[in-house]
Amino acid sequence: MLELKGIYKWFNTGNNRTFLLKDVDLSVKAGEFISIMGPSGSGKSTLLNVIGMLDSFDQGEYHFLHESVHKLKEKQRSALYKQYIGFVFQAYHLIDELTVYENIETPLIYQDVKTSERKAMVADILDRFQIVGKKDLFPTQLSGGQQQLVGIARALIARPKLLLADEPTGNLNSKQGEEIMSLFKQLNDEGVTIIQVTHSEKNAGYGSRVINLLDGMIVNEPVVK
Amino acid sequence: MIRHYLKIAIRNLSRQKVLSLINILGLSIGLACFALFLLYAVNEFSFDRFNKNADDIYRVYRWSEGLKGEESSGDVYMPSPLGAALKNDLPDVVNYVRLRDAWNESFVRIDGNTRSASVSYADPSLFSIFTLPLLYGTPTNALKEFQNIVITQSKAKQLFGSENVVGRTIEIRMEDDYVPFVVSAVAKDIPANSSIRFDLLGNFDFMETTGSAKRGVNNWNRSSYITYVQLREGSGLASDVQKLASFRKKYYPDEEAQLKKAGYSWTGNTPPIRFGLQPLRTGHTDTKIYGGSVENVNPKTIWILLSIAGGVLLIACINFTTLAIGRSARRAREVGVRKVVGGERRQLVVQFLSEAVLLSILSAIIGWVIAVVLLPYFNNLSGRELEFSFSAYPEMLWMMIGLTLLVGILAGSYPALILSGFRPIEVLKSKIRVSGSNFFTRSLVTVQFALSIGLIICTIIILQQTRYMSSKNPGFNRDNIVLVESDYRKAKEIFPLFKQAVESRSDIGGIAGAELGFGADAGWSRSGFEYKGSHKDVYEYYIDHDYLGVMGMQLIAGRNFNPAIGADTLTSVIVNESMVRQFGWTVENAVGQELQGYSESKTPVVIGVVKNFHYRPFKEEVLPQMFHQYADYSPTRIIVKIKPGSPALAIAAMQKSWNSIVPDLPFKYTFLDESIDSFYKAERRWSNIIGWAGGISVFLACLGLFGLAALAAVNRTKEIGIRKVLGASVPTIVRLLARDFLLFVIVALVIAAPVAWYFMDKWLQDFAYRINIGWWVFIVAGGVALTVAFITIAFQAIKAGIAKPVKSLRTE
Repeated sequence: MLELKGIYKWFNTGNNRTFLLKDVDLSVKAGEFISIMGPSGSGKSTLLNVIGMLDSFDQGEYHFLHESVHKLKEKQRSALYKQYIGFVFQAYHLIDELTVYENIETPLIYQDVKTSERKAMVADILDRFQIVGKKDLFPTQLSGGQQQLVGIARALIARPKLLLADEPTGNLNSKQGEEIMSLFKQLNDEGVTIIQVTHSEKNAGYGSRVINLLDGMIVNEPVVK
Repeated sequence: MIRHYLKIAIRNLSRQKVLSLINILGLSIGLACFALFLLYAVNEFSFDRFNKNADDIYRVYRWSEGLKGEESSGDVYMPSPLGAALKNDLPDVVNYVRLRDAWNESFVRIDGNTRSASVSYADPSLFSIFTLPLLYGTPTNALKEFQNIVITQSKAKQLFGSENVVGRTIEIRMEDDYVPFVVSAVAKDIPANSSIRFDLLGNFDFMETTGSAKRGVNNWNRSSYITYVQLREGSGLASDVQKLASFRKKYYPDEEAQLKKAGYSWTGNTPPIRFGLQPLRTGHTDTKIYGGSVENVNPKTIWILLSIAGGVLLIACINFTTLAIGRSARRAREVGVRKVVGGERRQLVVQFLSEAVLLSILSAIIGWVIAVVLLPYFNNLSGRELEFSFSAYPEMLWMMIGLTLLVGILAGSYPALILSGFRPIEVLKSKIRVSGSNFFTRSLVTVQFALSIGLIICTIIILQQTRYMSSKNPGFNRDNIVLVESDYRKAKEIFPLFKQAVESRSDIGGIAGAELGFGADAGWSRSGFEYKGSHKDVYEYYIDHDYLGVMGMQLIAGRNFNPAIGADTLTSVIVNESMVRQFGWTVENAVGQELQGYSESKTPVVIGVVKNFHYRPFKEEVLPQMFHQYADYSPTRIIVKIKPGSPALAIAAMQKSWNSIVPDLPFKYTFLDESIDSFYKAERRWSNIIGWAGGISVFLACLGLFGLAALAAVNRTKEIGIRKVLGASVPTIVRLLARDFLLFVIVALVIAAPVAWYFMDKWLQDFAYRINIGWWVFIVAGGVALTVAFITIAFQAIKAGIAKPVKSLRTE
C-alpha cells in the first residue's frame, strides 16, 4: 500500500543538524494493523504525520498506492490524502462549534458529496457506532470516550483505505481505551489498514506489527504474530 | 457549503458575545454614518434629475468677467421680459418660466387667522417644464387665473388642516391690504433634491401688477427674476456663445460702448458680460453662479463630508480586522482540523470571508435602522429634508449592498488570509501562538487613533474659532438688546408710538430706530460710486439719533445726528474708521468732507466718525460703513435696550404695546446676540458634523481597543500567571498590558497633529479675524484620546491582573 525509502527529516540549529527521522524504511501492506512505539521524542508522531502527508520530509522517497508522494505538488498531495486517509488524534480535535452530526459530515462537504448522499452516510455511521442519540450534541457535552468515537467516525466517514491514529486512547480511561481498541480491531478485520502511535504494549497487542522508533530511527521490526 | 459556513459563523458569533457585539455595533454605527452622508451626497449630486425634461432645461445667467483683478462670476437674476424675448428670437427655445423666490415670509390670512408663510411666484408654464406632480388640480388649471395659488401638500395641512383645499381662499397681505387668492392646485411635497422650492406659489403675471414689481415690466434694466428655458431636444444653443451674444446686443445696444469705456476687454468675439445657459442638472454644484432658492454646494464640501464618513467606517472595519486577528488563536485549531479532514485553503478563505460578509450584512441591517432613527437629526444638521427612498435615489440600494459586501470583504480578507495559512500540525500541536498584535494590527490601531485624534483637533479648532467670532467684542453692545421687526409700510408711524409707549418703563434702557438689523438674515445695503476718480463701495443704512447711544458705538470725531439740525435729514452722514482710511482722510480732517459723486441729487457731508465695529461677520474685514438719516428712509427695525434683570417682563410689555398699536401684525423680535450668532451657522454646522464624527470615531476606536485589550489579556494569561507567581503586583500587570496600547495613541498623535494643523490652518485663512492654533489643542486632543484609551484598557488589564494565577496556569 505504501512504501517509505530512506526518509530523513531534520532541522538545523546553528551549525547542528537535529534529525527527527533518520533513514526510515517502511513498507505497509493493505490490511495491516501497525503500532508505532517508542519513547517521547523518538519521532513517532513525526513519522505518522509524514505518512499522513501532513508533514514534509527532507530526503527520501514515499510511494503511496503507485503515486510518488515526494514528487507531488501540495494540491495533489492533499487531494490524495483527502481521498484515502483518515486521521484520529489523542485530543480528538473535534470542532467545538459543530454538533456531532456536523463534525462527522465535514469531510464529506470538502469532498463535494451531495447532501442526500451525505445524510445517508452520516446516518449509517452514527448507527454503526451507536451514537445516533448524541447526534445533535456539541463535543463539550460528551465524555472523552464518546468524543473519540466521534473522532473515529469522522475519520472513517469518507471510507479511507488508511486510518492513522496518534495515541487514540491517550486521553481515555482504560475501559474507554479498550472499547476504542476493539473497534480498531474490528475495522481492521473489515479491511481498513491502520497505523497507530501508542505508548501502551497492551494496545500494540491489538495490531499485527510493531515498529520501534528511537531517536528517529527504526530499531527493530519484530513480528508480533 | 455556504449554509454550513453560515451555521458555524452564527455559532461563533453567539459564543463570543462581547466581541461579536463590538464588531456588529461598531460596523453598524460606521455603516449608519456612512449611509447618512452617502444619502446627502447622492441627494446633492442628483439635484433636479427627477424632472423628465431635465436634460433640456437651462437656467439663464449673466456672466461678468472680473474687472481689474476682480473675480469673474455669474448671477441668475434676470429682467422680466427676457424669457419671452428668448422664446421669440431663438427657435431652439421651446418654453420658458420666470420665477420669483420668496425672499421673506408674508402674512397670510385663512378664515380670519393670520399666519406667516413664504409666497413665490412663477409663470404657469412651470408645471409643464418641470416635473412637479399635483395631488389635486391639473397642470393646465394651476395658476390659470390671475389670483390662483398653488400650495404644497404639507403647507396645506399646516395652514388648512387638510390636504384637498382646491377652491379654498387664502388671503395674502400685499402692501396695505389682504388680497384673496383661490387655491387652484395642491402640489405633492417637493423632493429634497429640487432646486425649485415653494410653499405657496402665485401667478407671476399677477405679481407683476403689485408694488415695485410694476417697474420691472418690460424693463431690461431691473433684474430680479430667475428664468428657466426649455430647449428643443438636442439643441446646441447653450454652447453657442455668439448667438447668445448677439441676442444680448439686440436688447442692450449701448452696452459694448459702456463696457469699453469702463475698461473691459474682449477675448476674441466673446463679450465680458454675456448671457449663458446653465444646465439644470449641474446648477446645484456650480458655485461660480450665484442665486436661486437653494444655496449651491461646492462639490469639494460633499467629498470632504464623504471622506469623513469613510474614515469613521474605516475605523469600524479596522476593529473587525484586528479583533478577528486577535481571535485567531481560538480559530486556529478549527483551521487545523478542517485542513486535516480535507479542507483546502481556498475553501477556508471562502469560509472566513463569508463569515465577515454575514457580519457586515447583519451590521448593515442594524445600521440601516440606526440611520433611519438618526435621519431627522441629520436633516437638522445638513439643512435638507432627506428621506431614505429607493424610488427617489435608486442608486442608494446598490450602493448600500455594494458597500456592505465591500466592508465585509475588506474587513475579512486579512484575517481570512492569515487564518487559512495556518499549518495543521503546528496549530494542532499548539506550536503557533498568535498574539493578535503584529506590526500590521499595530499599524491599524494607530491609524484608527490618528483619525480620531485628527477629528478631535479639527473640532476643537473650529469650535474655538466659532466661539471667538461669536463672543469677540464687535464694537457695540450685543447683550440685552432686542431687535423688533416693524412693518415696512408703516414704520414711520409705528416707531414714535411704540417708542412713547415703551420708553417710560423702568426696565427699558433706551430705544432707537434703524433700517437694518444684524445677523445672517438682516440683509445689507451697499452703494458704489465714483469718488475722485476711483470706484468706492460703501455699506450704508439709516439710523436715528439714539442709535449710537443705544448700541454703545463710540464717536471718535465730530458729532452725532441732531434732530434740531435740518441738514441731518438731507446730507449728513457718520462714517467709520475704515471709510476714513479708504477715502484717504484722517480722523482729524474727516469731518466736513463731501462725498462727491455719491449720486446726482445728493452730496453727503461727513459730520462724525465712529470707531470700527463689526456689522458683518468676523469672517470679513471691516469695510467702509456709513450711517445716514435721509428723510425718505424709515426705521423698519426698532432697537430696544433692556436693563439687565428680567427681559421676559419687558418683552411682555412691548408685546402688549405693539398689539395695541399694530393689531393686525404679530410682534416679531429677536435678541441681538442670537442674531449675530446666526452669522456663524455654517461654522456651527461644521463643528457639529466634525465633532460628531470625532466622537463616534473615538468611541469606535476604543471599542476596538477594548476588544484587543481583552484578547491580549486572554492570550497572555499564562504569562500574567507566571509573573504573578513570581511576585508581580496588580499595577505592574496593568502597566505591562497598557504600555503597548498607549504607545499606539502617542504615535497616532504624532502623525495626526501636523496633518490636522495643516488643514485647519488652511481653513482659518478664510477668516479675516482668526485665532492662532495653540499647541495646547494638540495636547488636549492627545490627552483625551490617551485617557479614554487608558480607561478602556485598564478595565481589561485590572481584570487580568487580579485573576488568581493558579487558575490561569491550570487552564493552560
